[in-house]
Amino acid sequence: MTAVAETGTPPEQPDDGRVGISIDGRELRVPKGTLVLDAATEAGIHIPIYCAHPKMDPVAVCRMCLVNIEKFPKPQPACATVAGDGMVVRTNIPEVTKIREGMLEFLLLNHPLDCPVCDRGGECDLQDFTFRYGPGISRFPITEKVHFKKAVPLSEHIELDQERCILCWRCVRYYDEITGEKEIVLQQRGVDTLVSTFDDRQLQSKFQGNLPEVCPVGALTHRKYRFVSRPWDLQRTASVCPECSYGCNINADSRDFEVRRFASRDNPLVDDMWLCDRGRYSFDRWNTSERVRRPVVRSDDESRDVTVAEAITQAARRLREIAEEYGAASIGVLGSSASTNEELFLLERLARQVIGTPHVDHQLEPFDGISAAEHELGIAEIEECDTLIVLGADPEEQAPVLTLRLYKAERKKGARVIRLSSDATAADAAIAASGATRIGLIADETNRAHAAAVATALGAVGSVRRLTITRGINGRGAKDLGLLPNVGPAYAALAEPGKNGRQILEGLASGTMRGLLMLGPNPALEAESELLERAVRKAACVVAFDTRPGIVSRYATVLIPGHAVFEKAGSVTNVEGRVQRIRAGLPPASATPVETRVLTTLAGLMGAVGWGSGDPLAVNRLLRDESPAYGRAGNGGRALFTAEAVA
Amino acid sequence: MQAETRAAIEHARDRYPRARSAILPALWAVQHEMGQITPDAMSEVAGILQVTPSEVEAVSTFYSMYFQHPHGRHEVIVCINVSCALRGAEGIVDHLERTLGCASGETTADGAFTWSSTVECLGGCGGAPTMQVDHHFEENLTPESVDQILGALRSEPTPHGEHAVEAGGVAGGSAGAQEPRRRGVPATTGPAPTEPSNAGSTALSTEAKKRRGKPGQ
Repeated sequence: MTAVAETGTPPEQPDDGRVGISIDGRELRVPKGTLVLDAATEAGIHIPIYCAHPKMDPVAVCRMCLVNIEKFPKPQPACATVAGDGMVVRTNIPEVTKIREGMLEFLLLNHPLDCPVCDRGGECDLQDFTFRYGPGISRFPITEKVHFKKAVPLSEHIELDQERCILCWRCVRYYDEITGEKEIVLQQRGVDTLVSTFDDRQLQSKFQGNLPEVCPVGALTHRKYRFVSRPWDLQRTASVCPECSYGCNINADSRDFEVRRFASRDNPLVDDMWLCDRGRYSFDRWNTSERVRRPVVRSDDESRDVTVAEAITQAARRLREIAEEYGAASIGVLGSSASTNEELFLLERLARQVIGTPHVDHQLEPFDGISAAEHELGIAEIEECDTLIVLGADPEEQAPVLTLRLYKAERKKGARVIRLSSDATAADAAIAASGATRIGLIADETNRAHAAAVATALGAVGSVRRLTITRGINGRGAKDLGLLPNVGPAYAALAEPGKNGRQILEGLASGTMRGLLMLGPNPALEAESELLERAVRKAACVVAFDTRPGIVSRYATVLIPGHAVFEKAGSVTNVEGRVQRIRAGLPPASATPVETRVLTTLAGLMGAVGWGSGDPLAVNRLLRDESPAYGRAGNGGRALFTAEAVA
Repeated sequence: MQAETRAAIEHARDRYPRARSAILPALWAVQHEMGQITPDAMSEVAGILQVTPSEVEAVSTFYSMYFQHPHGRHEVIVCINVSCALRGAEGIVDHLERTLGCASGETTADGAFTWSSTVECLGGCGGAPTMQVDHHFEENLTPESVDQILGALRSEPTPHGEHAVEAGGVAGGSAGAQEPRRRGVPATTGPAPTEPSNAGSTALSTEAKKRRGKPGQ
């Protein structure tokens, strides 16, 4: 307390769990335990860092963040010093300036200075801090640099440049603290120290792509991004990774109308800033030139390109004809887990309210016994559980980033993570979980009945919340919005369930059903190409949206070009029900209006009124009005259905 | 890896609250057996200690006295720090270079010796100038005594072998006592070795003597 009195900070502040600290003359109160570095950030004062990382424990090895603290005999690392009450920190004095200049001069001692050919140039902390805090000139001759190996491939994804490395330990700690795999270590010592893998073997991790992002310099780079672009030439689009249902936030960075990389966009509630390699390196899938570009109308003997307006008119007329001739129940409607919530919301209304068919689904497998209870546990809430049961290997294979959250719960919160085989009995699970109080049960959609039985058995041990890994970027949205034969929107039970996706296709193939309205692309259907082909060839009328040439585009009676995920705006819902926005970052492959507009026009022609313009944002407002859960979730919140389902 | 070496590593592992702490003694045991530490051996050590091979490699490359490449049958390390330097270490280094015919860090043509003078103080200042031969101190050196020591060793087999590691009573302690030069004992494995029978002190056995008996005995 003496320090307080002497530095003139007002004494006797109430004990609110906060401490008063002064940084460069700015007074602020921060929670106890806050690091000086974080306090400075809050005060808007920049302290350069290399080894410190927001997701990792401090090590204070790079010495870049040394600051002057009154009454300390020597400069202290801001990244590892806890703010104390009355602490007076200075970063804007000559002593600190000199330290920074010295550190940077040392860091650049053997640095190759190959910024012009370095992939990191333009977004490199070494470059930026040298520019901002460096001495401007080096006293060491450039000809006497010690050279290390350059362009060492660590795997098919990652390249290591040992000369550029500043030995900050971030990659080592990433593998230690975040994935637990410990694949990269520092070998040798002193001036010979280098980042390396065991016996120079290839990296095996499923999460290598995060390494170039934790690396503060150009030592670890993406092989797929090598010499591809400068950051200032990239157009950045905040979106959601389309590779699985986990909903990791990404920036889709594009240049010349092609996606060049996915970069992480930290959402602590979902991805915690980590992406898996399957997702991160899937970006070039979206650069294909094989696209459906024009609306097509087909009859028995001809196929012709038409305007969008004519395609929609034809679609409405033909669907109406089928309904009049064979009944509305002869039409099946299939959404897709790759569609946005807005599209699915309109499609469901079009199917059940306008066309009047009960046969609605978005994929092939039956969803018997579905209930909102399988979606209670949130991703961040995994850390609140003391015991986590993972049923089978599928959940972590489908949504790899889940593994990192489980490891975080294990490492930071001391949770038990129990991985059971998918055929482990409910009794086995209960025994494995004995002693647990808060249980998280994680399963996928293939064994719904079994997961429910396991949940019941675990209920005798402790409280159980479930997380079910859905399929496709918006498989969860398709479920929430009622694109299922047995439940409507918000998991409302239906008196008379319709046919599921497989039954619809089989009905079309056998002639018991006549018409199909489908929103593509639909990977689940494409996986069963033989059945799909029989169905669309036999059907009297197939109205289809699709993005790529294939079976559907070949046989659809009315084909309307679709928009791929980076070509349209909308929202998608992840495994835990979090509603997140996607945005248009690439020009669309065709001049066709977006799906929501086409669906709205189609519904209007079929007799619907009051659907508005079909603009994705307007549809989103309609959706939020209609669905209380989505209304509450807004943008970025979770849609929760449990209470409604019980009521 | 020989059963004896594995037993020594397991023994070391059981002496620490965390198995990871036993990486150093485990690597000593490996080096005594093989004369170097190979990637395969690192993997095996990692398996026994339940750590990743990369961690073992990090430790093994950090310390300069672990070898990742084949060495001569005998290892000679000459101290050139202050006390030894004042007592003529430089002359010893020159002599070694001349008589062995290779530079510090290299191996003689016949594969008998690998010698170096790049280590820091060996802690044998009382007998400066000092060198360490196969983990055994040779003190108060003169060119003549160096010739004598190396001459006696040149045709000897490597001490890295079954007698080198007296781990937890696995290897017979008496063998070490009878043949002084084969007494190299990893500090953290096994009970204090039998009293050295020759006048020279053994760096590692001295250290071992300071330790209490093994837990559980």
